[in-house]
Amino acid sequence: MHFDPAILAEVALGAGGVAIWFAVYGVALFLTRPADVQPAPSTQDFGGEEPPAVVSLLTNRWEITEDAAESTLLDLAARRHLEFRQPANDPMQTTIHIRDAAVTGLNPYESMIFERVKGLAVNGMVPLTALTFRDENQASRFASRLHAAIVDDARARGLSRRRFSTPLVSALAAAGLIPALAISAAIALDMVRRHKFAEDWTGAGIAALFVWAIFSGIAGKKRGERDTALGQQVASRWLGLQSYLRGDESFANLPPSAVAVWDRYLSYGDAVGATRVCSAVIDLGMGNRKRVWSHFGGAWHRVKVRYPRFWRRYGQKAVPLFVKAILALAFSILVYKGSNRLPTFSNTVSGYVGLAVGLLFLSPLFYGIYTLVFAIIDVATPVKITGEVLWTEVWKSSGGGENSPPRPWLYHFAVDSGGVHAGGMGRGGGSSAHDDRTVAWGCPSQIVHRASVGDVVTLTARRWTRRILTLEIVERGRERALAAATASASPATAEDTGNIVLSAFGGGHPAGAFAAQALAVALQTPEIAPTQLMSVEEVGRAIGVPVVADGRRPAAVGPISVEAYLSANGGRRLILASVATGTAADLAMRMRRRFQPLPGIGDEAFAGENWAIGRRGRNVVMLQLHGDAKRIDPRNVYWLLSTAVSRLP
Amino acid sequence: MRLMTGLLIALGVIVLIVVILLVWAIATYNRLVRLRNQVESSWAQIDVQLKRRHSLIPNLVETVKGYAAHERGTLEAVINARNMAVQVGSAGPAQQAEVEGVLTQALGRLFALAEAYPNLKANENFIALQNELGNTENKIAYARQFYNSAIQTLNNAAQSFPTNLIAGMAGVHPRPYFEAVGAERDDVNVRF
Repeated sequence: MHFDPAILAEVALGAGGVAIWFAVYGVALFLTRPADVQPAPSTQDFGGEEPPAVVSLLTNRWEITEDAAESTLLDLAARRHLEFRQPANDPMQTTIHIRDAAVTGLNPYESMIFERVKGLAVNGMVPLTALTFRDENQASRFASRLHAAIVDDARARGLSRRRFSTPLVSALAAAGLIPALAISAAIALDMVRRHKFAEDWTGAGIAALFVWAIFSGIAGKKRGERDTALGQQVASRWLGLQSYLRGDESFANLPPSAVAVWDRYLSYGDAVGATRVCSAVIDLGMGNRKRVWSHFGGAWHRVKVRYPRFWRRYGQKAVPLFVKAILALAFSILVYKGSNRLPTFSNTVSGYVGLAVGLLFLSPLFYGIYTLVFAIIDVATPVKITGEVLWTEVWKSSGGGENSPPRPWLYHFAVDSGGVHAGGMGRGGGSSAHDDRTVAWGCPSQIVHRASVGDVVTLTARRWTRRILTLEIVERGRERALAAATASASPATAEDTGNIVLSAFGGGHPAGAFAAQALAVALQTPEIAPTQLMSVEEVGRAIGVPVVADGRRPAAVGPISVEAYLSANGGRRLILASVATGTAADLAMRMRRRFQPLPGIGDEAFAGENWAIGRRGRNVVMLQLHGDAKRIDPRNVYWLLSTAVSRLP
Repeated sequence: MRLMTGLLIALGVIVLIVVILLVWAIATYNRLVRLRNQVESSWAQIDVQLKRRHSLIPNLVETVKGYAAHERGTLEAVINARNMAVQVGSAGPAQQAEVEGVLTQALGRLFALAEAYPNLKANENFIALQNELGNTENKIAYARQFYNSAIQTLNNAAQSFPTNLIAGMAGVHPRPYFEAVGAERDDVNVRF
């Protein structure tokens, strides 16, 4: 086979372009890393007024760790909104009691933590270790929103900033042209080499665009936070406290309930990483799947969950079991017919061998009879139980191939039924909550998604195969409601949604705009134009000057339709109106829920500096003021927004 | 030859034990030094707050004098207690705690006295000093917690076997707590 050295040159060209970009990216990462902070002298004094979560960010080199959530929880107790009680020596037995359910003045992330405690509390109490999540997605979303809120607060205080600034991201996105053009050139050279000439350069062009989009995406990807000058000073002071607290050996061993004595020293101690027991005991991440908290029956108790795996019958349908049993029996009969006699025993070596062989051939008979009998009993005596869903996870999957991932068809489905039909392992007869046990059922993938952890369900199941047949929700779980409430109430920052929505609504950097457009086009197309919602007369009335709609403006960007309203005499832009639908609309609202609410407009509406946004159903209208329009009475803008939102379908 | 090998093994074991003991002794000594330094540092924090408290009192007394100069007995009690506290400043935690307790009681009487003088209570300077003293008292309370916590750790180490052997040789001895005295120690009355 002939090897053309020109291929090497083409590959080197493409690889060189990519290497240059990554070298630039590496330099950017190096230059923007948080600088080392020189700790202030060891001191007992607090470093300032910053909340523990922000302190945790600063003292962990601008990275958010689990200490942020833990210290916020402790701080709520230090400020007497919550109370920790430890009934025995083991800090794991600590319970949290709500002292003030109608607390006000909490910042967004404190509210998230407080609402989680409040939402899980039964009669005002929740075990400390029951704060963990039982659903990985919920845990991930909660952590993501909590982190975003903390970062927002730190930025608002001038203590932190985005590691890659918008100009830097733009520069890196522009630098993405280097590998894009290099790869494009390599493809072009390859085409010329193979065909001697080439007329159609579309392939090379598409490759360039594709590569540029990828590198722009990498450039725009979140890279965390970095220091500011003020942040360095504040962090230095808090590191002085850290140094002092770390010098106190016994402080690290204080349990969470010691917050009653140590007040905010304990919460700040946790924030700066000077506590050991508190950090070990408090967990707001994923919980232990084998020891799950349940409040089924009205009181918190911990349930030991066993996940059966060994027997192949688990989770099986009845028909395959019957088929297997019949086949085993048929095989035994055939063997019997073939040998024409049952094995006999004689007290010789060959007799023992004959007995062993005979038993071996009889084993399918035993298996067949056993399976048939138990399968019949299993089908004939299904059980119906009601209980709280404790945990769900994939149990069995169909084997995937190279191009198809494995598809789960059976899930472990742990239910606390209060000891009823818990697979023969009920509450153990003891009064202690530690005796609660259950064995997970097998739930087919078709019905498992009907219920979430925390829901109270009634299910019909077969005990022997542990297969669930029917599943009905009796009561929605508080965790589900809590997750929904958190999702709607918690703020989002530019980090998680901004690249998409900010750009789509007229801001952001080129990489984000590109991603936004790509996503938007992929999602859907706009259904409503702003001119359908507000006429130029109405806009003019709100602004106080005659306006015209800008016909030159593109009517749609993916699922967002945009219209600019210009002054009739000078042609200057006064209002940019956007209407978004679906996911883009949801994202746009999420970004702005922390601003001033406007009650009475649509389902929800908010306003900020020179903008207002309102939602009705799945559609969102946003108005952005420009030029002279920034000076008009905000009430006129609210009226215009109200008019537009009222016309949404 | 066999005897030689046996002796070498025994020697090796002894050397190993000595090395382990030496490493343990050094680690223990260093820990004791660290604990002692933490106690010193915690005491220094208390001292700072106590000095701050002492420096506020003359201004407070002067302010009260402007409205209640005839309450000489109470004012002198505060001044005397303060002077006493300043004098025993380096005498150690036990004595310091005692005189600070006397000062706390005298201050309590002074603030009780102020209740009878509405103009004094409304005086901005008096309010500021009262708040500042309150803050300082809080800080002293926390500093005392830290100090006593450090003392507990040091005493546990210095009195436990075998650490006490090293502590004795290094001159690290158990130290007294900075305990609440007088009014601070009184039972809390709970009224429903």
